[in-house]
Amino acid sequence: MTESALIAPLLHLLGHLLPADMASLDFVKRALLAILLIGPAAAAVGVPLVHFRMAFFSDAIGHSAFTGVALGVLLGIHPLLTMVAFGLFVAWAIATVKGRTELSTDTVIGVFFSTVIALGIAVISARKGLTRNLQGFLYGDLLAVSDGEIVWMAVIACFVAGYLFLTLNRLLLLGAHEGIARAMRIRTRALEISFALVTALVVTTAIRAVGILLVTALLVVPAAAARNVAKSVASSFAIAVGIALLSGVGGLVASFYLDSATGATVVLFSSACFAATLAVRAVSSH
Amino acid sequence: MNGDPGHLHALEIRGLTVRLGGVEVLSGIDADIRCGEVTALVGPNGAGKTTLLKAILGMVPFEGSVRFCHAEEHGHGKPRIGYVPQRLDIDRDVPMTVLDFFSLSSQWLPVVFGHTRRSRESAEASLDRAGAKQLLHKPLGRLSGGELQRVLLALALRGEPDILLLDEPVSGVDVAGEELFCDFLGQVHSENGFGLLLVSHDLSVVSRHADRVICLDRRIVCQGATTEMLTPETLTAMYGSDPHLLRHSHVHGQGHLHENGCDCK
Repeated sequence: MTESALIAPLLHLLGHLLPADMASLDFVKRALLAILLIGPAAAAVGVPLVHFRMAFFSDAIGHSAFTGVALGVLLGIHPLLTMVAFGLFVAWAIATVKGRTELSTDTVIGVFFSTVIALGIAVISARKGLTRNLQGFLYGDLLAVSDGEIVWMAVIACFVAGYLFLTLNRLLLLGAHEGIARAMRIRTRALEISFALVTALVVTTAIRAVGILLVTALLVVPAAAARNVAKSVASSFAIAVGIALLSGVGGLVASFYLDSATGATVVLFSSACFAATLAVRAVSSH
Repeated sequence: MNGDPGHLHALEIRGLTVRLGGVEVLSGIDADIRCGEVTALVGPNGAGKTTLLKAILGMVPFEGSVRFCHAEEHGHGKPRIGYVPQRLDIDRDVPMTVLDFFSLSSQWLPVVFGHTRRSRESAEASLDRAGAKQLLHKPLGRLSGGELQRVLLALALRGEPDILLLDEPVSGVDVAGEELFCDFLGQVHSENGFGLLLVSHDLSVVSRHADRVICLDRRIVCQGATTEMLTPETLTAMYGSDPHLLRHSHVHGQGHLHENGCDCK
C-alpha cells in the first residue's frame, strides 16, 4: 500500500496530460507513468548501445527472458525474478565470451541468441500449459502494470541515470576505439561487462511494458532516429529521450482510441519519429 | 642493457609471448624503445605487429614483461601512453564532434551536459598545436583520413606521453597530408623526446622516418639501426624474395632522406 501512496500524486499530475475520458481511468495513468519511466531510460541506454553497434545485443537479452520466465515457472520461483537473473547471466556470458575470442560481436551474440531461444522452447515444450504464462511476456501488458512494477521501473530509471552519469564519457570513448581507451587507462573489460549488465536490467524491466518481441525497439529506435539528425552527443541524447517521451504519450493515447495493443502502438510512434528524422535529414542535406 | 645515457629506454620488452586460441602469435620478443628515437616495427601481414601493440596497451594477455622505464624513472608511476590507431570504430554519422571526442577523456561531467571550460581550452590548445584548430566543431565521422590522423595525434599528445604508439599512421593519407603529419610529429618529438614506436608496412616511410627498425615475424627477425637493417638480405629473410619489394627498398632504403622535408626525427 505504501507503493500506491508514492504513486498516487504522480498519477494525479499525469491526469492533466491526458484527454478527460482517459484521465479518469487509473490503469491508463499507471500505464503512462510506467512508459514515461522506462521509455526514456531504455532510449538513453540505446544511445551508447547503437554507438557500440550492439543493437542485436538487446534482442538477445530480450529473448533470453523467454527462457528466464519458463525456468521460473518450472522451478516455482516468481518468473520476473528468474527473467531478470537469467537476462543478467546471458549478458555477462556474452560480454565475457566476446572478450575471449576473435569472433565479431555479432557472431557471438548470434550464437547466444539462438541458444537461449532453443533452451526456452525446450523447457516450454517439456511442460504443457507453460505457454499460458508466456503470453503476457511475449506481447507485454502496459495496461496491467502494477504499482510495485512502477516503483521497480522508477528505481531502474534512477539507476540508469546514475550509471550513465558516471560512465558515459568512458563508454563513448571505449566505443570509439578500445585501444585509445586502454591507453587512457580505462578498465575496458569491467566497463564493457557493467554496460552489458545495465542493458540487461533495462531490457528485462521494459519487457513488462512492450513484450519480448518489441523490447529492442524501445532501446534502439529512438537512438537510431537521433543519429539521423543529431550533430553532437548532447543533441543525440536529447532527441532520443524526447522521442521516447513523445511516443510514450502519443502511443498510449492512440492505442486507447484505436483499441490497439499499447506497447506496439508506442513502438509504431517511435518508428514514425524515425521516418520523420530520415525526412529531415534528406531535406537538410540538400 | 644499453649504457649510453643519450639512449634512455622508454619501453623495455622482455620475453613477451602471446597466445591466442592456443596459437603462439608472438614468441619471446625482446625489444627496447628508446627515448627521443623513432623505432619502426615492420613485418609482413600476420606478423603480429598489431598484437604487439595490443600487448603493450594491455589489451591481450601475455607472458613476459613490458616495462615503462621512462615513467618509472620520472616517478609519475603509471606510464602515459599516447596511441594513434589507423582508424576509429565509428560510423560516419556518429553524432560526436571533435570537441566532444576530446572532452570524453578530459572532464568528469558527461558530455551530454556540455563541455567544461578547462576541457574546451585543452582541446583547443592541442588541436592548435597540430594545426587542426578549425576541426574543433566538425563531426568526427566526417573527417578525411589526414584530418583524423591529426586529431588522433593531437589527442595522443595532449597527455604528454612517455611513449607514443603509431599504427600505420600515414596509410590512407595523401602525400601532402603525410608531410604535414610528419612535420608536426617531428617537431613535437624533438621538443619532448618521448619514445616513438611506429608500425608500418611501407618501407619507404620507415626508411625516411625511423632511427631504428624492429623486424617482426611472430618473433624478432632482426633489430638495429635503420641503415643497417633495411638491406636486401634482411628483407628477403622477412618477406621472401619479392623483386619489386627489393627494388623498392633499394631505392628508398638509404637511411634518412632529409631533402624531402618530411623526416620525423
